[in-house]
Amino acid sequence: MTSTSQLSTKHLLGIKQITREDILTIFKAAADFKEVINRPIKKVPSLRDVTVVNLFFENSTRTRISFELAERRLSADVLNFTASSSSVSKGETLLDTVNNILAMKVDMVVMRHPAPGAHVFLSNHIDANIINAGDGTHEHPTQALLDAFSMTEAIGPLEGKNILIVGDILHSRVALSNILCLKKLGANVAVCGPPTLIPKHMDSLGVKVMYNILEALQWCDVANILRIQLERQDIKYIPSLREYALYYGVNKALLDKVGRPIVIMHPGPINRGVEISSDVADSEHSIILDQVENGVAIRMAVLYLLAGKK
Amino acid sequence: MATKCLIKKVKVIDGPSKYHNKVVDILILDSRIAEIKAGISPASPIKTIQGEDLHVSISWLDIGTQVGEPGLEHREDWTTVSKAAKAGGYGAIAPFPNTQPSIQHKADIQYIKQRAKSQGIGVYPIASLSIDNQGAEISEMYDLYTAGAAAFSDGLKSVSHAGLLARALEYVKPFEGLIIHYPSEKYLTQDAQMHEGEMSTLLGMKGMPSTAEAIGLKRDLELLAYTQSRMCVYGLSSLEAVKILKEAKKNLAEKLTAAVPYLNLVYTDKEMERFDTHLKVMPPLRKKSDQNELIKALKDGVVDAIVSNHYPIEEEGKKLEFPYAKFGASGIETCFAACNTFVPALDLETLVDKLSYGPRSILGLTSEGIKAGSAATLTLFDPSAEWVFDESQSRSGNNPFLGKTLRGKVIDVLN
Repeated sequence: MTSTSQLSTKHLLGIKQITREDILTIFKAAADFKEVINRPIKKVPSLRDVTVVNLFFENSTRTRISFELAERRLSADVLNFTASSSSVSKGETLLDTVNNILAMKVDMVVMRHPAPGAHVFLSNHIDANIINAGDGTHEHPTQALLDAFSMTEAIGPLEGKNILIVGDILHSRVALSNILCLKKLGANVAVCGPPTLIPKHMDSLGVKVMYNILEALQWCDVANILRIQLERQDIKYIPSLREYALYYGVNKALLDKVGRPIVIMHPGPINRGVEISSDVADSEHSIILDQVENGVAIRMAVLYLLAGKK
Repeated sequence: MATKCLIKKVKVIDGPSKYHNKVVDILILDSRIAEIKAGISPASPIKTIQGEDLHVSISWLDIGTQVGEPGLEHREDWTTVSKAAKAGGYGAIAPFPNTQPSIQHKADIQYIKQRAKSQGIGVYPIASLSIDNQGAEISEMYDLYTAGAAAFSDGLKSVSHAGLLARALEYVKPFEGLIIHYPSEKYLTQDAQMHEGEMSTLLGMKGMPSTAEAIGLKRDLELLAYTQSRMCVYGLSSLEAVKILKEAKKNLAEKLTAAVPYLNLVYTDKEMERFDTHLKVMPPLRKKSDQNELIKALKDGVVDAIVSNHYPIEEEGKKLEFPYAKFGASGIETCFAACNTFVPALDLETLVDKLSYGPRSILGLTSEGIKAGSAATLTLFDPSAEWVFDESQSRSGNNPFLGKTLRGKVIDVLN
């Protein structure tokens, strides 16, 4: 690991709080770590004696595993905490829960929480380095970083490139972090989906809003396809998944009409046959599994660059 | 409280008074203004109030203050709210009825009056519009009026049932009762956390669109025109609503009044970038263009009063993740000073008018103004004094200005 650059912040609360230079620094470190995790011996001692707690107040499989793997590859001591098995279910506040854990001398907190801004709230009250692993419908910065890193690997620098995000934008923390990250890297960003699943003021973020999936695919170089988050929908925003799949699902027939290759991405988990068909998800232009691999490298980079930062 | 004192070299801010903008001495005897002129020399020693840049107006009145007693004394009771109100320059308050139980019986009105009297603060009780503020059945409004209710409201719980609001407006007509109503369409604001706009998009939070207020207000104004009753629109916050109100006032001038919360004049939703739960309020802080229109509406007389929208919340209800925190900000101590500091577009005369004559006109009250012989219900203040708001008199510390430097300090309130 050769990167010596510093980040401008001691936490990763969101993409909003970091600079373009921070993003590029993380990319550089991630490229180094990607090389490391492809070696026969994948472990480095960078975070030896650093204790990281993974606080997951919401269910997660892939993000938690990805973070844990990144932490272990960096030789950190890892604690895992889930809300369902904790005193949170007995009514304890977030601040009390975290302060109790920090009293055991924990250095870094990786947290997923259902409330937007939970990490900002926490950063006002504790000293440990905080990494946002998703806060409600707000941000999911490491996903955006790994997405942009994967895009860069696939098509080169993103300046001036057209990136499309398709699907449930309203309930997606991935969408917002992606938009902020891609804009900082100079890309043109568009979103496409049913109007009820796109925030009313999305255009105020400098994002193109499209409702026709074919036109949107024709416009873009990369399509990042998001899952319909039925678990976050308190009311019905679309009449049925069948209708969604018919009018907004990305399938091979649509891509054939575009007539040129588009890089296909998906942050997972995939609902095959709903937002994406199997022949698209498994096609040669899909980089979905590269995203997963890059996720570990990006998270190693973030943990490494933030560890011990005051 | 002073039944006998001399106020030296004080500038009078009282539009209708012949002493407006003049620097005079005011002699108060037996709680009435005995004499006003420059250079009064009392015959015998008397308590004297003087200061650097001393100003005086008729005392200020806050409409919609949330008190907490009975039932929510951990937030605020009559002792603490009275201290906070006087620190903010108020001689009287018209508290909302959202206590536990809510203010809906004759005995509740009598209790409030007693508690206020014991704390030396004036009170104009607002009784519940609907039983338990549930928006289902009208309360015993005639009896409550007879007991001394100054108006009827469910506070910040907007009445979604048009039939109920129509009945309430009709029912109070024989005694010219006043309905104070917060307009909001509930199906457009469910689970929302803040104003819907660029900032809510950026923070990933569900927003309350301005159109929810506009739709609510349009409905309310239709009902007001239909019933020809009296209504005060409480909690005006959007440009759209101001335009609707302005138009409606052309036909309903005598029957329609409006009040704006001061925080909407001071802050916009931009300030919420750090997820500060002290700014999680109802109505929500909106855009700069909304704020500018509200200020213009105050100056043009479309909006009658500025209210503190004082809503004390215990620390446990605020020191939380943003979506879990309760709505409301304590504000009765800082309404004047924050407006004086951060809203330069509002001149001192307009500001004081909207804190004193404006609320009185909403409740249908009159004031004798500042003249010899009138009651000495006065607020003394120094608009140029800078001070740090470092200690709240309220029981709850959910005031967004705590620790901040403000310009304009209340010196005393005479009741």
